[in-house]
Amino acid sequence: MMTQEEYKHHVSSVWKATGILAAVTIVEVVIALIYDNYFPDSGLRMGLNIFMIVATLVKAFYIVAVFMHLKYERKALALTILMPLVFLVWFIIAFVWEGISWYNLRIF
Amino acid sequence: MATATDTIVDQQAQQQETQLWSGGKSPFKTSYGKLMMWYFLLSDAFTFAAFLITYGAIRFSIGQENWPNPAKVFDAFPLLGHGYPLMFVSLMTFILIMSSVFMVRAVQEGQMMNKKGVVMWLGLTIIGGLAFLGCQAYEWYHMIELGMHGEPGGMTITQPITYYTGAHHTGELFTGPLAFGHLFYAITGFHGFHVFTGVMINIIVFVNVLANTYEKRGHYEMVEKVGLYWHFVDLVWVFVFLGFYLL
Repeated sequence: MMTQEEYKHHVSSVWKATGILAAVTIVEVVIALIYDNYFPDSGLRMGLNIFMIVATLVKAFYIVAVFMHLKYERKALALTILMPLVFLVWFIIAFVWEGISWYNLRIF
Repeated sequence: MATATDTIVDQQAQQQETQLWSGGKSPFKTSYGKLMMWYFLLSDAFTFAAFLITYGAIRFSIGQENWPNPAKVFDAFPLLGHGYPLMFVSLMTFILIMSSVFMVRAVQEGQMMNKKGVVMWLGLTIIGGLAFLGCQAYEWYHMIELGMHGEPGGMTITQPITYYTGAHHTGELFTGPLAFGHLFYAITGFHGFHVFTGVMINIIVFVNVLANTYEKRGHYEMVEKVGLYWHFVDLVWVFVFLGFYLL
């Protein structure tokens, strides 16, 4: 059972997170549309992609920390869930590498 | 300089620590069910990550120039027709995020033992989930109608695929758009299946709330558990949105 104070605090932090999620999504979509309509061949694709990935990670942080309440759980619990995800770093690098290698082996 | 009081405080802290891990209570200060839901979600996160990374690897292997432009993959909007790239999927994103917000509110009302609040917010969550599934059905219907199916010659709508005409090495060159279609339906379909099961579980919990099951039990922890699952579905959609429409 939460106290009235805690309850109010949690509710307001949820609405704040909602605002952030909505704002980040709108910014992502607007930037994607501007890029696609005005600078499709400007060679900034990599920068755009990095921005999109960072924005997505920001959204993921708010969903996991606030909505899933992980911010308020014990640190040991949060670590047992977050640490295994470090393997994904290897996973992504290895398979992007592999994909580029396939590309170079193809005869177009 | 360590004083005698410091030592006593240290000892007390140490004792508490050992007690925390010496059995009889949860060292994570959470229930078995919630903990296992977290670990299930962790394993599910790896499944989705494997799907999305496979998508990335195949996309790199085809080359950016041969891959459909993600922003233009789906540009229809109900009643408006075509030419609105990203709009409909953004709407879907909003629906799912709002549904997730309603779920947090239901969890919070449950922690306050406020049945009326849980009923209202959980009801809105279910409506949001159904709306998302409806949107996905609309999207799939259009994709299939427009020719995106797993056969050579499909996928013409999303981008003119010039290399179909190049007769040499056709076997390899088909891979790009075909793989796009397969991965698109597999990944959004697997996510949609999660949404579907989530809605079903939410409905079961909703009925239990109405039947006072959790009121009698003394806590609404079941709402928290399905809440975790529901937020995870939202979390995955954020990454599917990134992989298929933004990158």
